[in-house]
Amino acid sequence: MGWARPGGLRPERGLGPRRGVGSPVCSFGPRGRRDAHTAGSRPGTEMSLEDCPLDEDEDAFHALGEEDEDIDQFNDDTFGAGAVDDDWQEAHERLAELEDKPATTGEQEDGTVTDEMDLLGDHEENLAERLTKMVIDNELEDPAIMQAVQTRLPVQHPGGLNSSIWDGSAVLRRIRGPLLTQEMPSVSVLDYALPQRPPQARDEERDLSERALPRRSSSPVIGSPPVRAVPIGTPPKQAAMPNFNQQILCPKPVHIRAPMQQRYPAPYGERMSPNQLCSVPNSSLLGHPFPPNVTPVLTHLQRAQLLGGAQAGRMSPSQFARISGLVGSPLPSMNPKLLQGRVGQMVSPASGFRAFFGAPPPPAPPSAQQQQHPPCPGSHLQNLRSQPQMFRPDTTHLHPQHRRLLHQRQQQNRNQHRNLNGSAGDRGSHRNSHQEQMQKDPYANLMLQREKDWVSKIQMMQLQSTDPYLDDYYYQNYFQKLEKISATEEMHGDGPKKERTKLITPQVAKLEHAYKPVQFEGSLGKLTVSSVNNPRKMIDAVVTSRSEDDETKEKQVRDKRRQTLVTIEKTYSLLLDVEDYERRYLLSLEGERPALMEERKQKICDMYDNLRGKMPSQDRPSDDHFVQIMCIRKGKRLVARTLPFLSTEQAADILMATARNLPFLIKKDAQDEVLPCLLRPFSHVLYHLPLGTVTSLLQQLANLPHSATALAPANLHLSAVLQNKFGLSLLYLVLSRGEELQSSDAATELMQDNQWTELMLMATRELLRIPQAALAKPVSTPSNLLALFSRYVDQQKLNLLETKLQLVQGIR
Amino acid sequence: MNYMPGTASLIQDIDKKHLVLLRDGRTLIGYLRSIDQFANLVLHQTVERIHVGKKYGDIPRGIFVVRGENVVLLGEIDLEKESDTPLQQVSIEEILEEQRVEQQAKHESEKLKVQALKERGLSIPRADTLDEY
Repeated sequence: MGWARPGGLRPERGLGPRRGVGSPVCSFGPRGRRDAHTAGSRPGTEMSLEDCPLDEDEDAFHALGEEDEDIDQFNDDTFGAGAVDDDWQEAHERLAELEDKPATTGEQEDGTVTDEMDLLGDHEENLAERLTKMVIDNELEDPAIMQAVQTRLPVQHPGGLNSSIWDGSAVLRRIRGPLLTQEMPSVSVLDYALPQRPPQARDEERDLSERALPRRSSSPVIGSPPVRAVPIGTPPKQAAMPNFNQQILCPKPVHIRAPMQQRYPAPYGERMSPNQLCSVPNSSLLGHPFPPNVTPVLTHLQRAQLLGGAQAGRMSPSQFARISGLVGSPLPSMNPKLLQGRVGQMVSPASGFRAFFGAPPPPAPPSAQQQQHPPCPGSHLQNLRSQPQMFRPDTTHLHPQHRRLLHQRQQQNRNQHRNLNGSAGDRGSHRNSHQEQMQKDPYANLMLQREKDWVSKIQMMQLQSTDPYLDDYYYQNYFQKLEKISATEEMHGDGPKKERTKLITPQVAKLEHAYKPVQFEGSLGKLTVSSVNNPRKMIDAVVTSRSEDDETKEKQVRDKRRQTLVTIEKTYSLLLDVEDYERRYLLSLEGERPALMEERKQKICDMYDNLRGKMPSQDRPSDDHFVQIMCIRKGKRLVARTLPFLSTEQAADILMATARNLPFLIKKDAQDEVLPCLLRPFSHVLYHLPLGTVTSLLQQLANLPHSATALAPANLHLSAVLQNKFGLSLLYLVLSRGEELQSSDAATELMQDNQWTELMLMATRELLRIPQAALAKPVSTPSNLLALFSRYVDQQKLNLLETKLQLVQGIR
Repeated sequence: MNYMPGTASLIQDIDKKHLVLLRDGRTLIGYLRSIDQFANLVLHQTVERIHVGKKYGDIPRGIFVVRGENVVLLGEIDLEKESDTPLQQVSIEEILEEQRVEQQAKHESEKLKVQALKERGLSIPRADTLDEY
């Protein structure tokens, strides 16, 4: 099967690499030196395995090979020049030769250089010493390095590795010689380091691009962002180039605080990559972020990766960069070699990139320093010089000593230009300090802004959800809480308003997918493909209902308990929904609200039914269902949470049921001790109850039958109640409520209410009877109990009660 | 730019010195240069620090690329407080020697333990011979 063809993207060479599966890869010799469409006769043919069977004959094979000629560009690095391992060594030698060209520069202190090199160590060493130390063995193959070590002289020579665009045209012209002799006809200009490309003159621009340094061979890592990707100057704030495909994979994260890029370079703490720096308007940064050093922009492989990535619809950060970071208008005159670039998609960004460089001269702000002549639009670039050069070239393939030398020379350049730039004004001095800080970490911003954005984009994508309250409940609630707290704080004091940036996660609309399995025309049957979107039923599990005959008692009990558990779970779901209605109400539209209310009501009714046990019969004689629920810890919590939603009547009913069965519940609660959680909702309910209900409630607590006034010597029910924390607290609550009602409503003949009086007496009697040690410790003692008791009991007993129950709390 | 406020993201940690603890027990100290969505890390000028008792030794390692799943935790090192440590730095040879001694001692005590358990008929599988999950 042939590989997919990136047809539309590369019009010049429309075919992707294809070869039969069985064909030995190395049989294809180095191609790509030809740039003609040799096999252009069949550009549109899709080769497949059927076309070239494994036992192909020579002709077919050749034909295949021929056809592959014009699609070879991916192969250069594996088969062609790029694959040659010592490529970089040769290139390196050449470069080293350049380095050795005599040139004079004020030699800088080695120490200053080593300072920045030495990040982890904190001792200063002479660079030379370190170099000599580093030269462990003399079998270093690379003569260039040996040379470099031996010279030990920081040199800056025009046309050398570190020649920068600031050096003036003369310098750069000298580069031309040696570099052009390099044999790299087939590699497109995109491969070569942009630093050689000053925005000086257009014509030079084109030449310089060819002068670029040899690319580094790298192993293909498909899909990963290429190293040192083309750093287009601006982050996605600028207008993008119109002529390319922009694939937006995901909504961008929205930050409340807009990224601050439209300002001058920030102190070290902030990560202003050179890209960002470049984007600063009015800054003279519109130059050139690259250090004058070896940086292949893209190797074939990298471009291949990019293309491959683009094919798959994935965008690497570099691609994002390319697409989004283009500034200004495209260069009117495009380098034909650029156009020749095989990566069609790369053309536009590259050209845009060039435009970026082409543009600067016109909009270059008049700077105080016009040190250099117009040919080098270096004036603003001079100012730039004081900017820290964040860009680290990809020198990982170089020997560490070599790298040190390079960096050292860079540093020198920087120092030089900094000296020149001393009087750049405020900005300059500001930047100087900035630069110094930056100097201490020359490796900073290896990770481009693009790449950071890319990673954070991925992370944001993972946070997308259709319903954040469902998917990310705890985070949302946590933030709500925080906001509430800060809001209250702000209200109280007018302290500095702490601006807390909140992460706004993009909300994606829920899409309903109806997955249809792929079907081929004229084929028998369907493809058996099962994926996450289309799971396939693997097992036909049949549910057999259990027979009712041979169930043992234990089983029944177990089932009953399970049934209760299921009920609790169902009711909990209802409860969560009901609790959520308020939020939904706020979010919903006007028209939807009545429906929401209805739903809510219905759910509440369902909840109540669940709790009390839906009985087909009219009355509900049995508390059994409810009691079962209350025996389970979760059930008790459920009741506590549900109570606020129930109507008064329903809630009273629940209360009654609880009081009626309190001793049993207390016994069952011995291990969990969760009953006290009910106290608060109970008290809320009590607040709304009329006295009659309260009385009957008390009755329930005391477990007296309605009419009988049997004065048993010991009321077991009540005593059990009193000995339990919850029970006692509940009793207190009830009593307190009764007292409230009594004292508030003088008109009613509460004092004559026999039942109440009886109950009161009963209660007090019981209270007195129980030894203090056995009495439980209530959650809270209502303050009006004393008044209550004083109505019914004589002074002596009152005193006893006081002490026993510790009713008097601190005499004021 | 405040990346993803309210979340945990490594982007703010880039270019800062970190201490990374790996699953195999190694401690790496280096400048965090690059990350990705799997929390794979690129550490620059990495130093592997071996701790034995109150001493430690540093082995310079260069550039590390750590696969995210092997990281237990990582934390930023305060450069000012970095030198404020009661630990004593020793040479690499010394610390390796110390480590070897420590490992040996541990090994022997482990052996004794296993022996004792065996005599009593118990066997506790060693953690490193267990499957990981």
